[in-house]
Amino acid sequence: MTYRKMAGAVALLTAAALGASVPAAAQAAAAAPNCSGASTVKETLPNGTTWQLCWRIHEMAGLVLTQVSVSTPRQPEQVQVLDSIRLAQLHVPYDTGDMEFDDLTDIGMGGWSLETLDGDDCKGGSARLGSDGSAEPAQRPVLCVSAEPAGLAYRAREENWGENGPEAGTLYSKQGHDLVLRTISKLSWYEYVTEYRFSDDGEISARLGATGDLAPGYESDTARGWPVGKDDAYKAAMHYHNAFWRVDFNIGGQGGERVQQYDTALDGRGDMTAKLKTTKTDITSEGTFNKVDQRWWRMVSRKSKNTDGHPRSYELVTGGNDRYQGHPETKPDVTFSEKNLCEKWASDNDADPECPADVRTVLDFVKDKQKLTDPVMWVRVGFHHVPRDEDQSPMPMHWQGFDLVPRDFSAMNPLTPDGRTGQNGNPEPAPEQEPEGLAPSGSQN
Amino acid sequence: MVHHKRWGWGLGVATASAVTAFGLASWQANAAPSAPTPTVTSEQVSVTDPRPAPEAATGRGDDALTSTEVAKARAIALTPELAANAQDVTGKAGPEYLSAEVDAEAAGREAELYFYDYKSEKLVKQVVDLTAGKLVRSFSAAGMQPPASEQETRTALELLLADPAGSRIGEAYRAATGKQLTGTEGLVPTAHSYTAKPADEGNRQCGKSRCVQLIVSTDDGQFLSVGEFIIDLSGRTVARLK
Repeated sequence: MTYRKMAGAVALLTAAALGASVPAAAQAAAAAPNCSGASTVKETLPNGTTWQLCWRIHEMAGLVLTQVSVSTPRQPEQVQVLDSIRLAQLHVPYDTGDMEFDDLTDIGMGGWSLETLDGDDCKGGSARLGSDGSAEPAQRPVLCVSAEPAGLAYRAREENWGENGPEAGTLYSKQGHDLVLRTISKLSWYEYVTEYRFSDDGEISARLGATGDLAPGYESDTARGWPVGKDDAYKAAMHYHNAFWRVDFNIGGQGGERVQQYDTALDGRGDMTAKLKTTKTDITSEGTFNKVDQRWWRMVSRKSKNTDGHPRSYELVTGGNDRYQGHPETKPDVTFSEKNLCEKWASDNDADPECPADVRTVLDFVKDKQKLTDPVMWVRVGFHHVPRDEDQSPMPMHWQGFDLVPRDFSAMNPLTPDGRTGQNGNPEPAPEQEPEGLAPSGSQN
Repeated sequence: MVHHKRWGWGLGVATASAVTAFGLASWQANAAPSAPTPTVTSEQVSVTDPRPAPEAATGRGDDALTSTEVAKARAIALTPELAANAQDVTGKAGPEYLSAEVDAEAAGREAELYFYDYKSEKLVKQVVDLTAGKLVRSFSAAGMQPPASEQETRTALELLLADPAGSRIGEAYRAATGKQLTGTEGLVPTAHSYTAKPADEGNRQCGKSRCVQLIVSTDDGQFLSVGEFIIDLSGRTVARLK
């Protein structure tokens, strides 16, 4: 398959998702954030991308980020991405069945649990002072803001055919950077790092790191414990860290995103190899969903569009994820619920006298399958920890999390260099006219 | 004095001995200054580093509540009735104050304060309009158990030490430190609010009653095994989990 044909297939897919939508000129710019300077983070990365947000510490949730918006050199106005993002639960059940901590609602990631940044905690970054969210709030340096190299953002070498074969032409090679925000919570032996990475290409990564020390419990059964001391004398208990995040999008400041699921499956044979077919399913009412191969979800703005006229969206990308089967509410990978301020915690939600006492978990949030007009996404990522000798001591950081990847948030790569700006939908210098009828109509949702 | 987590960040030096207990070499390696290794791709990128400003009296929008706002909201939330009729974890008049948070979704600047009333066994939520300086809404419900306050954590540790089960802690403390335990001195408790799980026959009341599970460490970071005890702060009793 030639590159040109492949591009056509991509166009077909995008067109199918879009139908015959007409580009809208208006782009809603994000206003200055509604929070004070001390709780604003606004940083420009070397490639010119600027992220802006408000932060605060909640006694139970820990770090809460709100009004997250981004601008790039090609999109100079700030465009909002998220209304808010935060942790929504952290289950730590032990395989022995005799211990479980639901850390957010039993003890809390903020307040006393929140560590004052010290040592190398914020090396090379800026330790920001703020309220620790405790009952008697104290101002402490608790948020680390830093910019970190993220490796090669892109590379493209142009080649010319000369007399002696290919000759190297212009090289486009760029180092990417992330704006990194992190806090540290010490919950007895475990210490958790709540981290958000905002990439200069628009990607957002949410993850939870665990370090500190293993629980000092002894387990004799090799099915539930792993020897970490000399010989077999001391076995550390296997356990889970099952984390939930609450993600509330507000793309372009317009809110009310659509939720879509995409699945790709084999679809017969082409002339050379298998054909594949990608189908979209609109998720119009509340529900819980599980990941399978080649399945992904995205939150699509109904109103905000990029300059190609494509609705802006963000895609949920999950990686390694151990599903904890011990609770019904920890089985789904993602839950989409209609926004409801009484729905705060993925489990043990019955903690507010103003709210119904029988709405305890994400499963209760979606039980009545309400129509989704302002969806909230609950992302669950689990890590089953089988201890190893190296976990002592302190334990090397282990991570769990997910990415939010921009899909049509901007018309091109936000880092596109000047020499490549002509390649928006035109992969060759002199594009042929696409044949009529390639873009299907009538598939608009 | 009980070393609560609140003061935990002052214990960085003390924890050194806990680390050496696990491995002297690794601690020394950490203590030794090491020069960063430059690489071809490494690029020093800096972010802004604003000078810390004194805390503002009031916040706006998504700002956390300031300490001034929390103090003001607490005074308004603690109505004369609540002060007279409710009871805290020590049995004194007035509810147990648990937490305060901003309602960033409210139209104005609103504080939500949570209290636990040990007399009615109810969680109380008081919503204060900070601009108007008025209590605007009140709610209470049984069976809701948010994280424990500092005073509840301290009380739980005292109840545990006073219980016959507490002798176990004394033994564990002596084994860990070689010293005699005197009261709560030298102990760092962490409390998890506890609601009875289906298999827990011995603590059925927990959830309706306010219970905690404690994790206790020495102030040099060694953990004492007390996880199997559930402390019922409402009934002022200690029970074994299994």
